[in-house]
Order: sequence, then C-alpha cells, then structure tokens
Amino acid sequence: MGNCLKSPTADDISLLRGNDSQDGSEASSEPPPPYQESVHVPMYHPAPNISRPASQLTEEEQIRIAKRIGLIQHLPTGIYDGSKKIRECVICMGEFCVGDAVRYLPCMHIYHKECIDDWLMRSFTCPSCMEPVDAALLSTYET
Amino acid sequence: MAMEKRLQKELQALVNDPPVGIKVDADQIGQNLSEWLVNVDGAPGSIYNGEKFQLQFKFGSRYPFESPQVVFVGPNIPVHPHVYSNGHICLSILTDDWSPALSVQSVCLSVVSMLSSCKEKKRPPDNAIYVKTCSKNPKKTRWWYHGKQCYHSEYKTSLLGMSSMGINT
Repeated sequence: MGNCLKSPTADDISLLRGNDSQDGSEASSEPPPPYQESVHVPMYHPAPNISRPASQLTEEEQIRIAKRIGLIQHLPTGIYDGSKKIRECVICMGEFCVGDAVRYLPCMHIYHKECIDDWLMRSFTCPSCMEPVDAALLSTYET
Repeated sequence: MAMEKRLQKELQALVNDPPVGIKVDADQIGQNLSEWLVNVDGAPGSIYNGEKFQLQFKFGSRYPFESPQVVFVGPNIPVHPHVYSNGHICLSILTDDWSPALSVQSVCLSVVSMLSSCKEKKRPPDNAIYVKTCSKNPKKTRWWYHGKQCYHSEYKTSLLGMSSMGINT
C-alpha cells in the first residue's frame, strides 16, 4: 500500500521536473510551435444569409436547427451508380462520379450529400425547383 | 475550395458559351475570382434597347450557399423602378429567394428580364432617401418585395406610418 501511494507521487514529480526543464530549453532554443488551426467552431445558419456559432443562437433557433438536423437525416441517401438521368450536382456544378455519396429529395432531385446538407441547414427547399422539403416529407408520412 | 472551383466552372461556361447580350471580361477578374464585372446589353425590343450596362458581382467564401452582391456600376445605371441610382437592385433572388442552383448567368438573365418587362423609365419612389442612408452592401438592406413596387424596409415603415395617419401615398 505504502509503495503504491509513494511511487506515483515520486514519478509525478520527476515527470513534472523533466517537463519543466525540457519546456524551458525548447522555448529558448527553438522557434514557437507551428501555427495550429484554432479549435473549429461549427457555424449554424438560422437563415440563408446569416451565420452564427451555436453559442450565439437563441433557444428558438437552436430548437429549429436541431429539428432540421433530424429531418435531414430522414431524407434517403445513396451512392451514385451512373444510372440516374441527373448527371451534375447543380450546387458545386461538378459531375457526379460513380461512388459519390448523394442525397435524394422528395421532388427526386439529387445532389452530393455534402452539398445539399450544407444548403438544407440554411433553407429547407430544393435548390432546383424551390419545392419546400418539409411539406413533401410530411405528406409522404401521412400517406 | 468549393467556391473557387464552382466560379471557375461558371467563368469557363460564360466565356465559352455566353448568352446573347451578356459578356464577361475574364481578364478583369482577379486570381481568386471573388469579383467580376459583366457587361449586359439592354434587350432588343425593350425600352433599354441599345443601352449598355455593367454589373458587378462580389462573391463571399460561402458562395453558392449565400448569394453574391450584385450592383450596377459604371456610367450608365438603368433608370428602372427597381434600380436605385447608386446601382442597388431590388430583386428577390439576390437575397430571400436565392438558391445555389442560380448562377452568374441566371442572375444576369433575370436582371435583363426585369429590365425588359419595364414600360416606363422611372427611379424607385424612395430613391433619394435610400441612396443617402443605405449600406454599401445591398444585401444589408431589408427589402420588401411585392409585385410592381419595391421598397426598402425603412421606407415601408414610413409609408405604413403615413397611411395610419390618414395620409394617402
């Protein structure tokens, strides 16, 4: 028991000392550490042209965004296999490649999953036909 | 970067296959593509026939998820009920009705079509006060879009105020 308690304490001190002296020498002899990206703060879009971090959203906006994330997860996704008529994602204007992750909207327009999810977080409409996505979702649930 | 990649494609398409009356000067566009000047001709058959205009596009890093800033610049600003004398345009697709499926080309065509449907060259009714008080960025204006008339919100408030006082506008 005595050993168990003692050894970690001794170790801790030696580690601290070691670190201290190392840090000191590093600071004096080497340039500061390379630039590191500051912690990524996710931005949310309570409206299409507004971007705010989560900490600056009202409670109402937080709830709406949480609901939105839930609804987006309900929309079917797939892997592009080259068989669809739509060949280009109108958001990035890039052609679909076999193997790309795509998401289908109720109006049957398809987009890269990454592209459309970014848009749906701002506006819950189809970029191509402006059809509101939630209305279509609700009606498919009713039937 | 998604924004630059897409703008590169748009530029290529617009240079290679421009719609009639719309011309982009690719040499004027800087390296990062964030600012464009597009030359737009008044449509034949419209009251702007033969006139030449210039549209300035400014793209933010969130384009195409956020709309570009689009204003008329240069010596000839069209006299139109939705175009302020400082070049700001009251057109819903430039703010509320923006969609990432829209593009520089479709915005130019919408602007030309907006001009073409006009029968009388007239400035917006709130032009004087708007150009004195507005932000440089037209996206910061709260526009009210309704059919033929177009007001920025401060003007609308004053209009509502006047009508509630029994003043006919």
